Amino acid sequence: MFRLQGSKVLAVDMTGDAVRAKNGSMVAYDGQMAFKKMSGGGEGIRGMVTRRLTGEQMTMMEVKGHGTCWFADRATEINLVDLQGEKLYVESSNLLATDAALRTGTSFTGLRGASQGNGLFTTTVEGHGQAAIMSDGPAVVLRVSPQFPLTVDPGAYVAHQGNLRQSFQSGVTFRTLVGEGGGEAFQIRFEGDGLVYVQPSERNTIAGDV
Amino acid sequence: MPFREINSKMVEATVVPGQRLFSQRGAMLAYRGDVSFTPNIAGGRGGVMSMIGRRVADEDTPLMTVEGSGIVLFGHGGHHVQVINLAGDTLCVEADRLLAFEGTLDQGTVFLGAQGGVMGMVRGQVSGQGLFTTSLKGYGSVAVMAHGGVFEIPITPQRPVHVDPQAYVAHHGDVRNKLSTALGWRDMVGRGSGEAFQLELSGNGAVYVQASEEKL
Repeated sequence: MFRLQGSKVLAVDMTGDAVRAKNGSMVAYDGQMAFKKMSGGGEGIRGMVTRRLTGEQMTMMEVKGHGTCWFADRATEINLVDLQGEKLYVESSNLLATDAALRTGTSFTGLRGASQGNGLFTTTVEGHGQAAIMSDGPAVVLRVSPQFPLTVDPGAYVAHQGNLRQSFQSGVTFRTLVGEGGGEAFQIRFEGDGLVYVQPSERNTIAGDV
Repeated sequence: MPFREINSKMVEATVVPGQRLFSQRGAMLAYRGDVSFTPNIAGGRGGVMSMIGRRVADEDTPLMTVEGSGIVLFGHGGHHVQVINLAGDTLCVEADRLLAFEGTLDQGTVFLGAQGGVMGMVRGQVSGQGLFTTSLKGYGSVAVMAHGGVFEIPITPQRPVHVDPQAYVAHHGDVRNKLSTALGWRDMVGRGSGEAFQLELSGNGAVYVQASEEKL
């Protein structure tokens, strides 16, 4: 149902079903479509309270109809993720669209989120279906297995899925404090079994200018 | 075939004696051979009347005439470039998105306000494009700029296409275009989906859409 048209446009073929997408990301459609605003952080009162508390205020819309709908956002690269019951952790600013069958929520990330400048919470997507995430430049998917943990720059981290533990590493030493650091003072370390999406850019703002 | 896409952001044009090209002023990146670039006061073809039309319509992006024999590279502002070939049909495109086009094409200005009544008037305001657009007609190719990649959606009588006004780049063929709204009470109270206005294109042809909602 989700397919990529080039690397920067997501095409979704719909036959009466629905998808959720970032507010305002529709660029074109044919056939019949209806757009309705929703909010992130999960549904119901509990979701509303989490949204208030966590600041993960992604505004999403529900798109329902028959035909093809195309989505894009500021010419950023789009990656498709297939979920089979596992949980995807992604910054709300990097989430473009999900199957309506997937549940979204928020989760506490602690220091990692703070180091990225994204706050202490992140968005989770869970269930069976497809999601489209955005990255600044083409993202690579790196596998983490028990033998091979992975360490990622917080600014280049986009999303992760699977059974992963993450810990925050600081390489701040005496040298950093006197201005002799290597420029890589903070890292996130992933251990366990899963996938991590890394973008070739260390900016958190998804690129504006080309 | 005077335009060849070198990469996604650059086109190469072959200039031969007796055939001229028009390009946006300052869009030349490099050239080889004996090529001259002259500012085009009249701004393309179509005579004095169409020039006045363009002035009035604010569709008079400065153009230059490219003549001689050689190869010229065109590109502008790091924008993506898309080559569109016309075989007798009409391309509608905003003047500021026009990178270069063959001299065999007739340039004109189209009043869009008349299409779709009052919504035609509103259309220009919403999309930031004004009431007029530039048209190119005939046989030849055109290089058009966009932010992000461009993709083409065919328009058939059975399948009208709706496009976000900010993502719209150009369209060709026998196409009517009008602004449609999906305004409901939710939009009035600030709970809109952000997709309140769309351009509805119907008829026979194709529309070019960019992977971004940013203007050039």
